[in-house]
Amino acid sequence: MNRHLPNSAGLGLRAPHVSHVLAAHPSVPWFEVHSENYFADGGPALAALDRIRTDYPISLHGVGLSLGSTDALDTAHIAKLSRLVDRIQPTQVSEHLCWSSVNGRHFNDLLPLPYTREALDHVCARVSAVQDCLGREILVENVSSYLTFPESTMLEFEFVVEVAVRSGCGLLIDVNNIYVNARNHGGDADAYLAAIPPALVAEIHLAGFDASGPCLIDTHGAPVAPEVWSLYERALRRFGAVPTLIEWDTHIPEFAVLQREAATAQSYLEAELAVAA
Amino acid sequence: MPSLREWQTRFAAALLQGDGDTDEHVAIYRNTVFSNYRHALGATFAVVKQLVGAPFFDAAVDAYALAVPSLCGDLNVYGGDFPEFLASYPHARDLPYLADVARLEWAIDAAARAADVAGTPESLLTALANVPAEQGVAQRFTLDPSCHFVHSGHPVLRIWQVHQPGFAGDMAISSDVAPDYLLVRREGGAVIIERLTPGDHALLRTLNDGSDLGLALDAAVAAEPDFALETTLRARIANRTLAQLRGD
Repeated sequence: MNRHLPNSAGLGLRAPHVSHVLAAHPSVPWFEVHSENYFADGGPALAALDRIRTDYPISLHGVGLSLGSTDALDTAHIAKLSRLVDRIQPTQVSEHLCWSSVNGRHFNDLLPLPYTREALDHVCARVSAVQDCLGREILVENVSSYLTFPESTMLEFEFVVEVAVRSGCGLLIDVNNIYVNARNHGGDADAYLAAIPPALVAEIHLAGFDASGPCLIDTHGAPVAPEVWSLYERALRRFGAVPTLIEWDTHIPEFAVLQREAATAQSYLEAELAVAA
Repeated sequence: MPSLREWQTRFAAALLQGDGDTDEHVAIYRNTVFSNYRHALGATFAVVKQLVGAPFFDAAVDAYALAVPSLCGDLNVYGGDFPEFLASYPHARDLPYLADVARLEWAIDAAARAADVAGTPESLLTALANVPAEQGVAQRFTLDPSCHFVHSGHPVLRIWQVHQPGFAGDMAISSDVAPDYLLVRREGGAVIIERLTPGDHALLRTLNDGSDLGLALDAAVAAEPDFALETTLRARIANRTLAQLRGD
């Protein structure tokens, strides 16, 4: 069964804006939420999502499954995700190509993997297991990183593409993360885009970074940078008008600011559609 | 090259170590990890954070995160042991009410995440009407899953109230007050906090522990000699504190 988000610019829905969305019913083509924020057994947050899903396509985006961890897959976590998928019937389900726990301790952060054959085999098996449990395809997202590892024997994009090809998952390409990593590690963002088979790309993420430290930090706390808009334009040239999400997770601004960011993304999407037509 | 498992174990150790030898880039991850915990617990324990100030609070969260690992990929459920941690945190020794305020804030958070109950007051009243009179005291009740009890010798509800956003009244807090027996629960989708009478507290807590109505009534009368069972039962069924008969 094919599930597609609208080929338009959606928004990451965060708690401060839920009551506004319920009351004002703003024109937004789709919303993405963090899956774990709705793992509760019941209560008002879940009830609000029940209402929102009747009016908007929903994408469930996980931040805590720890796909790359060498600990056993957390079956309780997958059970909660599965329960939420059954309840919300999302258009898309995605997770990050990272690890966040080992020896039982969770860091609740998106930690980068060394890009080795062992890590590749491991992640592919885990993605397959998750897809089997959920009974559906998921998307995996490339993460930002502040480190590269001498152990790595593959480039990041080679690893990302192999995971999708071998496990049958789709790709959620975070254009900001590609830009951040290229700046942090001296890679070529356009070569990265060129290596991704367009047919694998089902969603794009955009967000803002922080440039005040020793390297770019993917804070999701600022407007999308001009260089990232430019890279996004080139990504659309390669991948076509792919559903695109604006993410903003720290120093969350008022809803209208998010809508303006989404409108900018929408204008790029429409320009791409016009060129392609 | 170490195995992926060895590699992750080493990375985790380096991330937690945080001494002067930490690689500058590992330190970025360390900062992000700890700031995620500070942010998450700062939202849940917002009044505790106001009471002690951000620097104290952040240091307490850092110490807690090192001592009590997060065991779950869902950060929303991390922090349940933070009240206990504060109770024995040496730097909070002069703030005897702090752990109880934290218990209240955790109860509010947990109440918001609790399961919804399908039963209605009418269905419970119907079930009770079918109980033979002589078996009334043998009945056991399930409370709404959102119910959490907080008992404190300190005026934690008053402390919590005057630290809510927009509170404009008198901030003065008298320490010379009766103990707080609080019930945190959801009503109509919103979390509410009630101050219970000693009798109501004894009755509901005893029922919540799984004891039958007879034992709960004994506890309530012991706590409050003129306790009125029927009034309390009617009110607690109507507002859904009592959700179902056990075994239903």
